[in-house]
Amino acid sequence: MTDYLDWRIADFPFSIDIPTRWGDNDMLQHLNNVVYNRMIETVVVHFTLGPLGIDWQKSPSYPLVVESLCRFHRPLSFPETVTAGLRAGRIGGTSVTYEIALFGEGDQVPASTGHFVHVFIDRDTHRSVQIPDPVRALIETHGIKA
Amino acid sequence: MAAAKIENRDDYRYFLSLQTRWMDNDLYGHVNNVTYYSYFDTVVNYFLIEKGGLDIHNAPIIGVVVESHCNYARSVAYPDLIDCGLRVGHLGNSSVRYEVGIFRNGEAEACAAGHFIHVFVERDSNKPVAIPKQIRDAFEGILVEQNG
Repeated sequence: MTDYLDWRIADFPFSIDIPTRWGDNDMLQHLNNVVYNRMIETVVVHFTLGPLGIDWQKSPSYPLVVESLCRFHRPLSFPETVTAGLRAGRIGGTSVTYEIALFGEGDQVPASTGHFVHVFIDRDTHRSVQIPDPVRALIETHGIKA
Repeated sequence: MAAAKIENRDDYRYFLSLQTRWMDNDLYGHVNNVTYYSYFDTVVNYFLIEKGGLDIHNAPIIGVVVESHCNYARSVAYPDLIDCGLRVGHLGNSSVRYEVGIFRNGEAEACAAGHFIHVFVERDSNKPVAIPKQIRDAFEGILVEQNG
C-alpha cells in the first residue's frame, strides 16, 4: 500500500504556492475540506494553462474533470501559504490522472494528497478525443520520477 | 477508463434538496467540480444535525474528514434544483463512510456520486472516539451494506 505521507515536494515536477484566505477556515479553525479540493483543482488548472499551454476558450479539445479524490492527513489553516505539487500518473488514450500533494508552509510531509482525472473533450462534438500529441509529450515530461 | 457505476435515486436513504446558486457555475456554464464537495458536506452535516442530534457548536465530538471522492457523469448548472442523496456504506467504531449522489431536477439517475469519510474525534484532544449512540443509530437507519 502506498504510504502517501512519504510523498515529498521534490517528487513533483510542477508546483505552485497558494495563499490561504480568512474565509477558507471553517468553524473548526482549519481549512474546510472543500478548499483542499479547490487547491487541487487550482494546481491542475495552472499546469494546463502554463506547461501544457491549453487555451480553455479556443483549443480544439479541452480537458474536463471526471473524477477527483482528496485524502486529508493533517489540517491546514489560514494564514499559511500552501505549496501544491503535481505530477502525471496514469496517462491513457483520452485521459490523464494527475497526482497531487498539498504541503503546509515549511512542511516536509504532505497535509493532503489526492488525484484528479481529466478527459479531453472535442470542442465541437463534445465527445472524448485522444490527447493531442504535443500535449501528451508535455504531460509525459511531468510524470512520476523513477 | 472504466466508467463508474450509474447511481440511482433508489440507492439512497436520505435526501436534502438544495437550490444551486449563481456562483456555483464556472466558466464552462455548469457547476464547478469543487462545488459538489460543498453539497456533500452540506448534506452530511445536515443529516448529523437533523437525525443525529449533533450540536455543531458545543458537542464534545466533531467529525473530521479524512477522504472525499467524486465521479462526475453529467453536469448540473444553475438554476437547477438538486437533491443530495445520502447513505452510509460502511460504519466503523469511530469512522463512517457516507456515499452521496447528486440528482438534478427530480431525475432518477445521479449526475455525480462520491463518498466522504468522517472520523469522529474529541473536540479538545483530537483523539478518535466511538461514535455516540444517537448518531450511530441514525447511521444504522441509512446503512446500505456494500458488496465490495
